Amino acid sequence: MQMAMASSKKDRTTRKILFYIGLAFVLAGSLFPFFIMFMTSVKSTSEAIAQTPTLLPKIWTIDHYADIFNPELFPYVTYFINSMVVSLIVAVISVAFSIFGAYAMSKLKFFGRTTINSSFYVVYMFSGLLLIVPLFKIISSLGLYNTKTALTIALIVQTLPAAIFMLKSYFDTIPADIEEAAMIDGLNRVQIIFYIIMPLSISGIISVFVYAFMIAWNDFLFASVFLSSSENFTLPIGLNALFSTPDYVWGRMMAASIVTALPVIIMYGISERFIKGGAVEGGVKG
Amino acid sequence: MKKKARKKTDNKLAAVLLFPSIALILLLVAYPMVSNFQISFFEQSINPNIDPTFIGFENYTAILTDAEFLKSLGITFLYTFLTVVGSTIVGLAVAIFFNRPFMFRKISRALIIASYVAPTISLVFAWKYMFNNNYGIINYLTVDVLHLFDQAPLWFDRPTSSFILVVLFAIWRYFPYAFISFLAILQTIDNTLYEAAEIDGASAWQKFKVVTLPAIMPVLIIVATLRAIWQFYTFEDVFLLTNQVNTLGIYLYQTAFAFNDLGKAASISVILFLILFAVILITRKRVNANGNG
Repeated sequence: MQMAMASSKKDRTTRKILFYIGLAFVLAGSLFPFFIMFMTSVKSTSEAIAQTPTLLPKIWTIDHYADIFNPELFPYVTYFINSMVVSLIVAVISVAFSIFGAYAMSKLKFFGRTTINSSFYVVYMFSGLLLIVPLFKIISSLGLYNTKTALTIALIVQTLPAAIFMLKSYFDTIPADIEEAAMIDGLNRVQIIFYIIMPLSISGIISVFVYAFMIAWNDFLFASVFLSSSENFTLPIGLNALFSTPDYVWGRMMAASIVTALPVIIMYGISERFIKGGAVEGGVKG
Repeated sequence: MKKKARKKTDNKLAAVLLFPSIALILLLVAYPMVSNFQISFFEQSINPNIDPTFIGFENYTAILTDAEFLKSLGITFLYTFLTVVGSTIVGLAVAIFFNRPFMFRKISRALIIASYVAPTISLVFAWKYMFNNNYGIINYLTVDVLHLFDQAPLWFDRPTSSFILVVLFAIWRYFPYAFISFLAILQTIDNTLYEAAEIDGASAWQKFKVVTLPAIMPVLIIVATLRAIWQFYTFEDVFLLTNQVNTLGIYLYQTAFAFNDLGKAASISVILFLILFAVILITRKRVNANGNG
């Protein structure tokens, strides 16, 4: 009996060790490109193109980071600011519109609800690519070609359906009793949204914000079609343009890649704490 | 009487609350759809000063007889199939692996999502460097260390190796989406079901087939369907990595903005719409029934 217990304990330890080895492999595979990105960004230029690649830099340098933030070498800061402005506006407006829309879809009975719900669903499955030709024409004829406004509006539409679905699933979990009690206390529907619904679904609102920000921040297609001059470029098309010129330096590109990826990764890291389960993230488009 | 009055206020309030979303969707999704259909019957260049000419179904006949289009369609189906199957299986395997309590669980889960949330451009730069023909670490490992290949595959310059590259990229990039969805549903499965199966002497595979698979089926259908649709319209992942793999997204983009033929590009969109609608009609009921919209 004692022997059996001892051996099963040993078994468990072995299994545990094997599990952590497996975990290390999964994480290494998943994160390897990020590792290479970072290591290359702190290597010297000659080491980055050495015939025998090194994992860790022989000499560590932060020159590439200094370079990308030097406006005389790179318009990186301009692109970064453009991306930040567009993404923040998209995220704020998406959150506002989707709170209203999701409240109606979740709590109100009205004519055409099912139709609207399925239309949102169809739009959710849409790709911006399918509408790129008419959107390009509409934007041009409105005189909005090569403006950040055009990009911002197109991106808001892109994020809205998923944002509404995500928030609706949060609002659905709020019991009707709470609202009825609030109504008896004399609150109207709009006050209920602001004082009852929003505070109760703050984690949903944060995840919608992060989602919309990410869609805008990562967008390449709309930016590449709607923007034509460098001073309006967002990071994805700006970096792509820089990479197409022959004078790119790997270290700089990797430094730029890291700094470009950081805002969304940090935002996700923070919002993880607020997201329950993961059902909501599962609804994220991309 | 009272009920009726209540209903009326709901209608009005719903209209006000939904107005911004619906107005934007009408202006920038519904109207463009109609406009796109119209453009597809015209010969039209990007230059707004050149007037469009009505040419009937010529754009459609040109596309459907274009060998390049048919080839692109085939490549896109294969790409979609491989990336959906690959990312779903990897995502499910990692989710099953994660479905137990362990140290660093939260941080590991967050780290796995990194490839899914990071901008394509950053990831593509890293892959371009890793797979570089001359000094990339992948060729160094596969040729000089492991001797898997005699010669370094030119990952970006040959149709076949580039195709393998974009499929690997998509599986790596999108498996976290399946992973998150599966992990959430796996956590809801009652452990006593596994214990009961164990008492009946079920093997690991039988437990998976009898307990896990039926429980995750609804999520599996949603994940695979949405992933298939998004992969089918893939554009930037492939466009930024290589010019050797002509998926439909790239074919459409280049027809419009490289060959300057908006009419033909619009008719490609219409054909893609039709394919999308067929998929929606087939899947909508099932996906809706599972509460995802």
